Amino acid sequence: MRRHAITPRSNWKDSVERVGLTYHTLDDGSPYWDESAYWEFSAAEIDRLEAATTEIQRIALEAGDAILSRGWLERMHIPAKAASFIRETWQSEPPALYGRLDLAYDGRTIKLLEYNADTPTCLVEAAVAQWYWLQDCFPKADQFNSLHEKLVAKWKDLVPYVSQPVWFTHDGAEEDGMTIAYLQDTAHQAGLKTSALAMRQVGWNSAQQRFVNPMGQTIETIFKLYPWEWMLGDAFGDNALATLNAASQKPVRGKVQWLEPIWKMMWSNKALLAILWELYPNHELLLPAYLDGPHTMQNYVRKPLVGREGAGVQLFRNWAEDGGAAPPNKWDVKAADGGFVYQGLARMAEADGKAAVFGSWLIDGEPAGMGIRESDGLITNNTSRFVPHLFR
Amino acid sequence: MRKSREVPLTLLAAAAMASIGCHNGPRHCVDAQNHLMPDSYCEEHHGGGYYYVYGGSSGGHIGDSVVGASSSSFGGFGHGGGGEGGE
Repeated sequence: MRRHAITPRSNWKDSVERVGLTYHTLDDGSPYWDESAYWEFSAAEIDRLEAATTEIQRIALEAGDAILSRGWLERMHIPAKAASFIRETWQSEPPALYGRLDLAYDGRTIKLLEYNADTPTCLVEAAVAQWYWLQDCFPKADQFNSLHEKLVAKWKDLVPYVSQPVWFTHDGAEEDGMTIAYLQDTAHQAGLKTSALAMRQVGWNSAQQRFVNPMGQTIETIFKLYPWEWMLGDAFGDNALATLNAASQKPVRGKVQWLEPIWKMMWSNKALLAILWELYPNHELLLPAYLDGPHTMQNYVRKPLVGREGAGVQLFRNWAEDGGAAPPNKWDVKAADGGFVYQGLARMAEADGKAAVFGSWLIDGEPAGMGIRESDGLITNNTSRFVPHLFR
Repeated sequence: MRKSREVPLTLLAAAAMASIGCHNGPRHCVDAQNHLMPDSYCEEHHGGGYYYVYGGSSGGHIGDSVVGASSSSFGGFGHGGGGEGGE
């Protein structure tokens, strides 16, 4: 694989805005969407990334079974009140849509950095913006990116299993809003009735014990770009559990299907990394990871069990702190409950002084595409730039 | 080919963002007994039993009962955009 420097399209800002990537520039004025370079892969390298994604998904499923059968939710600092609902939805398999594995790949070894299973973003960039970039710049080349087709196909599969309208909600910044808009778009293209509202507009009708929109319409299927850990700490968190459609794949009157389902708390929690290492020690796709300290590792990262965009991640070299990301927000601090995972360092793809992380997407549990983020250091955060890719 | 054949966009470019509607009616921050409270309670004390209700009226004084409002309460989810839920 190789990183190429190129001249951006003269109208690149307009081009990406038109397809939904309105958050293309960082607060300091530098580009977040960075098409001054692209990564080129061989088909064989893409095959390897795809196969690695399939294998990690396989062992994550095994890990889910192990976590529940061995009673490990407590080790993951997952609230006890969520346990029975996680267990029940793991068995009943209610609708679930997507996830993103963050991988380190230096051209030789592929290692799992983490699994963003509940609220992954960078989707508009990966599914849409880089696809249009490829059409403009290298229309004869291929790209590991069938995200759009697979999303629409998955929503079509879900038609018998959801209540309509399917609601879409978020509580974040522009990126989250556009991610939700895109997912709503894919559901709409699959023929589903959809509607959107802000998370704070999800109301609770205490007399009828149901969630409603501000007009009083009942909410029965809702896609949320809002972490379960935050939901459970919110004022309506217990209501969400009390009305959760946990036992059935299909809609049940008076119950609510939340996508992603609550069992995703097992995979979005970074304790999963240590559990995978415990279950599959020395697996070629895993890094050493532990919950109770760095063990014999000299160089490692310490990650809060719950966190987003690299927040709270601390790098250690020779057991000493050697840089870190911004501190986590108060909601993630509360959700992590003081728990950390200690993970060995991976060999990253580096070029022009930048380290790249490969976000490998899964739709319906199958590999579906890739997006690349570049950072000046080893920790990917919310200012890490998105760089498009192709393969030949 | 492992790229999508087409990526048509309908809602994303324009309508989707517009469809994330805003509730423009009057709203009141109330406690669990439906007494009017300062908005700051709803904004700063999530999980503390303070919610927004929409519509209705009150005497306008802190502690007044709010009558005629929606029977649903709002603001029990969300941090007012204070943190990105995506990663």
